[in-house]
Amino acid sequence: MDYVYSIIILIGLFVILASSFNLIIGYGGLISIAHPIFYGLGAYTSGLLARDLGLPVPLSILSGALVAMLLSVAMALPALRISGDYLLIASIGFQLGMIELIKNLRFTGGASGVSGIPAFLVPSFGRGIYVALVSAVAIGVVLLVRWIAHSDYGRAISAMRDDEQAFAALGRDAKWIKVSIFALGSAIAGLAGALYAHYFRFVTAEQFEILMSSTILTMVVVGGLKTPWGPVIGAILLQILPQAITFLNLPPVILGPLQGLLFTGLVLIFMFLRPGGLVRAGNTWRATGAGRGGG
Amino acid sequence: MLEIKGLSKSFGGIIVADQIDLVMRPGRILGLIGPNGAGKTSLFNLVSGLYAPNRGTITLDGEPLDGLALHERARRGLARTWQHVRLFPSLSVLDNLIIGARHYPAESLVILMVRPGKIRAAAKAARAKALDILARIGLPDSADKSVGDLPYGQQKLVGVARALMNDARCLLLDEPMAGVEGQAYEAMQTIVREVAQSGVAVCVVEHNVAFIRDLCDEAVFMFQGRILARGSIAELIANPDLTELYFGH
Repeated sequence: MDYVYSIIILIGLFVILASSFNLIIGYGGLISIAHPIFYGLGAYTSGLLARDLGLPVPLSILSGALVAMLLSVAMALPALRISGDYLLIASIGFQLGMIELIKNLRFTGGASGVSGIPAFLVPSFGRGIYVALVSAVAIGVVLLVRWIAHSDYGRAISAMRDDEQAFAALGRDAKWIKVSIFALGSAIAGLAGALYAHYFRFVTAEQFEILMSSTILTMVVVGGLKTPWGPVIGAILLQILPQAITFLNLPPVILGPLQGLLFTGLVLIFMFLRPGGLVRAGNTWRATGAGRGGG
Repeated sequence: MLEIKGLSKSFGGIIVADQIDLVMRPGRILGLIGPNGAGKTSLFNLVSGLYAPNRGTITLDGEPLDGLALHERARRGLARTWQHVRLFPSLSVLDNLIIGARHYPAESLVILMVRPGKIRAAAKAARAKALDILARIGLPDSADKSVGDLPYGQQKLVGVARALMNDARCLLLDEPMAGVEGQAYEAMQTIVREVAQSGVAVCVVEHNVAFIRDLCDEAVFMFQGRILARGSIAELIANPDLTELYFGH
């Protein structure tokens, strides 16, 4: 049963990650590969604050999200002053640099990682309550992203993504919108990381490597960019499929590569056969309650 | 009043603006004519903040615009349209206009979360204004249409309508009549005239000489980044040197 709980929690965390990444890359049109490191920063910050400084876990979780947000702003602000393209370059440097930093700092446990992170809720209430917590956060994040995307703010995001210069010529500050979206998406990733840390109670830098970017991106693309529910479906599908394959009782020499091929294969299949993903976005932006979603 | 003094800009060896002095007065329509490559759109790009000039100053009602970004100039009352329309394809006609509203606080995520009511009120006001402008340009039934579904002439009208949402003091129109004919042509003339009559300084880049002649109070002739002549459109057309530069014969 513990295994099932862990899978459900991982699905919930990836729903949070994919939805927040969709806000950045889908709705915002901002290309970044640094989402895993903000996930990791949330995990490390929360884990270390709770373990080494004795901060209450709810506060340390919020601190994890806050640190991820602040560092994302520090990274995005200078990059976005120049152009959106620089965000990609900055994100690669930030992702790789932070991973190396974490691996080489003593207080982060170096390559060994951080263990003995205080558990949250599970010792007192059991694992079911943590599943409920992560599920509630995941649903909250999906609804938040949907609300933003179809609010008046979402209209501005859509226009900015369509034509940034024409948008700015109307008096709109595109840079501020981009930084805000990036900060919020990164803070949510940090929140997911903190939730991860207090359930699994052990983190290492390898868990947040650049490879995870492709996993999250695959979830968003397969599920459907610029849709609230697409990343949810993508995250569930791409968490369950690799687990389901393990029940085929294949030898490990086949199983490992097969799981890797699954992600690559799905991306290729969707690129050619259904580029819009499983849930397709509408062509025209609509406000909440004004008909079909999308945009 | 928009005042340009000694404005110069070059890209490497190509001079797009050469010591330009120009005044756009409230309530007046200024035509900007000249052959392709004369620097007319480049001048709009310099004034609106898309390009940074090498030299020169621009003031709007005495307030310097130099060094301000595109969006900051727009907020100070400078609106422009684009030669190739540049509407937002993922938005409906109405939403294209709403996004251009002068007071559109929904670009702040913090305000959205803390004071959503403020945004709703502003959006409601913007919506009412947008519907009013759509009615004025003769497109009241197109509000919910996708902009891509409109004929090109109507898209041009929507581009001008979007710029009007800014309540600008100075309006730069870049080839508003290109590809526009029939009812849209009449509507464009009417709306531009009304805007000027409301006290806005209007400047129009246009190849349609009839449109310039019917609408503009005065015109300037640009060639190779310089202003060669000023006067009424009749005076400029009557000048054989300018006609030769414009038409090549």
